[in-house]
Amino acid sequence: MYVKVNADKCSGCRECEFVCSTYHFNVSNPNRSGIRIEKKGLTDDIPHVCTHGKDCNFECIDACKFDAMKKKDGIVYVDYDKCVGCGACERACPINAVWIFEKKAYKCDLCQGEPRCVKVCSQGALEIGGA
Amino acid sequence: MVCWSGRLLYVDLSKGEIKKEEIKEDLYKKYLGGDGFGSYYMNKFVSGDTDPLSGDNALILAPGLLVGTPIPTAGKSEFFAKSPLTDGWGEGACGGSIGLALKQAGYDVLIIKGKSEKPCYLFIDDDNVEIRDAQHLWGKTTRETEEEIKKEEKNCSVACIGIGGENLVRYAIISSDDRQAGRGGLGAVMGSKKLKAIAVRGSKDVNLKDPSKVLELTFEWYEKMVNSQAFKDDGLYGSGEFLEWMNRERGTFPTRNWREGVFDQRQKIDPYYWAPRYSIKNKACIQCVKPCGKMFVIKEGKYKGTKLDGVEYETLFSLGGNCGNPDIESVAKANELCDLYGIDTISAGGCIGFAMDLYENGILTKDDTEGIDLRFGNSEAVVDMVEKIAKREGLGNILAEGVKRAAEKIGKGADKYAVHVRGMEPPAYDVRGIKGMGLAFLTSPRGACHLRSGAYALELLGKFWKYEGVDRLSSKNKGREIADMENFMAIYDALGVCKFSRGFFLLEGFREILKATAGLDYDERKLLEIGERICNLKHLFNLKCGWRREQVKLPPKIRIPIPEGASKGSYISEEEEKEMLDDYFKARGWTKEGKIPREKLEALGIEEFL
Repeated sequence: MYVKVNADKCSGCRECEFVCSTYHFNVSNPNRSGIRIEKKGLTDDIPHVCTHGKDCNFECIDACKFDAMKKKDGIVYVDYDKCVGCGACERACPINAVWIFEKKAYKCDLCQGEPRCVKVCSQGALEIGGA
Repeated sequence: MVCWSGRLLYVDLSKGEIKKEEIKEDLYKKYLGGDGFGSYYMNKFVSGDTDPLSGDNALILAPGLLVGTPIPTAGKSEFFAKSPLTDGWGEGACGGSIGLALKQAGYDVLIIKGKSEKPCYLFIDDDNVEIRDAQHLWGKTTRETEEEIKKEEKNCSVACIGIGGENLVRYAIISSDDRQAGRGGLGAVMGSKKLKAIAVRGSKDVNLKDPSKVLELTFEWYEKMVNSQAFKDDGLYGSGEFLEWMNRERGTFPTRNWREGVFDQRQKIDPYYWAPRYSIKNKACIQCVKPCGKMFVIKEGKYKGTKLDGVEYETLFSLGGNCGNPDIESVAKANELCDLYGIDTISAGGCIGFAMDLYENGILTKDDTEGIDLRFGNSEAVVDMVEKIAKREGLGNILAEGVKRAAEKIGKGADKYAVHVRGMEPPAYDVRGIKGMGLAFLTSPRGACHLRSGAYALELLGKFWKYEGVDRLSSKNKGREIADMENFMAIYDALGVCKFSRGFFLLEGFREILKATAGLDYDERKLLEIGERICNLKHLFNLKCGWRREQVKLPPKIRIPIPEGASKGSYISEEEEKEMLDDYFKARGWTKEGKIPREKLEALGIEEFL
C-alpha cells in the first residue's frame, strides 16, 4: 500500500500537509508533514510522498547510520528515538519524499493503514495505491 | 498560546526601525484576528487626515484566527490601509500563503509604516527581520518578483506588487501565490512606500487546544463540503457558475457600464462554455478543499501562452459584460495582465466600461484614446486599455485614478456615467434589481462591495440564515438585514474563513471549531457582538477620515430603470435610498447622520477610540 499521486489534479490547497502534521505530532505545521506540495510556477502543484519501495530500493534505510529508518510490514518509518537529523536519508531518497526539519526526518508512515491526506484530498490527486 | 502567536511585528521603513511587541490575551478574545485586528490597529496607527500615499499611512497584514489550522477553507489573510481609491477604510482579503507564513514566523499582525527612499523588500525569517534592497525587482511583474525572491530565499511566501502598484494606480492589488488582495488600491500603498514585496519564512507550529477534536471536525466538515452541490458546481465551473442564471432568471448582470442587466452575448463568457475548453484543473487558496479557481490556459491563437487562475465571476462581468466584451480569450488575457501588472480586475473593467460609455456618447473621442476605437465590444481595446492603465499611458493615466477622479478630470458631464460608491467601482450585482445590495454598497466601509455583507445570495434567493421571504425588489426592512449580514461576515474575515463557506458553517458551526482550536467558547450571539464591534470600528475610522452621509449615494445610473429582462423597470429612487439608509442607521444604533453615539462605543468596549 502507498499513497498514489495524480499530480495533474492537485489544486495546491495543501490541506494534506496540515492534516498530516496534526495527526502525527498534534501541531499544525507543514514543515512536519510527511507529504509536501511543491509549487512550480503558476500551473504545477506536485505532491511528494514516499511510495514505500514502489519507486526505490529503500535507499533511505541503507543510508541511515543510526538505525533510525525502519521497515515493518512494508511500511518505511522514522524511529524518532534514534533519528539525529543528519540528512543522509533526505539525500539518498530518489523521489524526494523525506525531509529534515529541526534535526528530525519527516516522511509518510501511512497513518496505520488509513492515510489522512487521502481523506481530505477533494481533487483526486491522492489515492490509495497498491492495496 | 494556542492558534495565535502572541506577537506583533512593527516596521518603520523611514527610520529602518523594527519592533516586536506582545499582544495581550484580552485583545484576542475581543477581536479574534484578521479584520478584528485590522479594525483595531488601523484606528490605533492611522489618523483620519493621513494622505493614503504618504509614509503616515500604515499597511497592515493580519491572518485570520484559523489560518494554519487544518480547518478547511480557513486560509484567508487580510491587508489593511487607508485606501487611495476611497480616502477611507481599505481592506482586501487574499487566499495566498503569506498570512500562514507570518503566523508561523511568530506574528499575528504585521504593521508597516514610513516610506523607503529606494525600492526595498521586507524579509522575515522567523525572528530575523530585515529590510532589503529591491532595485533589481522594481519594474518586474508579480510572478517574476515572486519567483526571483524564492530563488534568493528557499521555502518562503511572498506578497508583492507589480508595476500597477509602483505607478500608484489607485486600484493596484497585492499578490501572493497569484491570489490577490484586490480592492481599494492597497498595492498603491505598498508602491508609495517603495515596498516591492514582503517575503516570509516561518517555521513555528500552530498549536491547537484539542488536536484530535480539530481533526474530527476537519473530516466532518470536509465530508459536508465535498458532498454538496456547491462543491460540484464550483469544481466544474468556478464562481461564474451562476452567470447564466444571473442573466436569465434575475436580469441583474450589469452590462455595458450598467446600461443593461442582461448581457445578450454572454454565451461564450459563460463557464459552461469555456471551462471544458480552457481549464486544465482546479486551483485553490491555501486550506481550501472546495476550490472555485480554474487553471485557465490558452494553447493557440493570438493570446497563446496566456495562463491564469480564473476567470472568476466578478471578472467575467468587469472585463466581459461591463465592456460588452463577448470574447473569453480577450477577457482571460486582460485578466492575466491585471494579475501580472497588479491591478484590480473589477475596478479596471469598471474604468474601461466607463470610458467606452463616454466614447459612445461623444465625451471621449479618438484624439483622447490615441486612435483606439473604444466602443463596447471591442475585445482588443479591453486588453490594450489594461496595458495603458497599468503603465499610466495616455487615457490610461486618467483611468488609473478610478472613475470618480477620472470623471472630475474629464468633465463634460462624465460624472453621469461614473458608476461608483465613495470612489469604489462596484462588483457584478445590478442593485437596481437587488435593492438590499444597493444599501450594502452604500454601507460597506470600503465603498461599493459585495463581500462586506455577502447579502447578494440572501437577496437573490430570498432566504439565508435567519432570514426568509426577502424581496429583492423591495426597499423595505433592509436596514437590520444588511447590518446583521455585515456583522456575520466580519466574523468570517476575523477567522480567515472563505465567504463561500457561509452556507456551511453559518456562525453556530464555529462554536465547536473555536473550542477545539483556540479554546474559546463563543456562541452565535457572542460572535455577532464581536462582528458588531469590528463593523463599528471600521465605520469609526471612516468618520475620522471625514465620512459624511451626504457623500454616500448610489450613482446616477442606478436611478434609470433596468431596460429589459427579469428585473425590467426596477431601479432605486432617491426616496428608497434615504429610507434604506435611515433604517440601517437605526438598526446600527447610530444617529440619523450616521454618527456613532458614545453609548454605542461604550457598549461595544471601544470608547478608547473616541
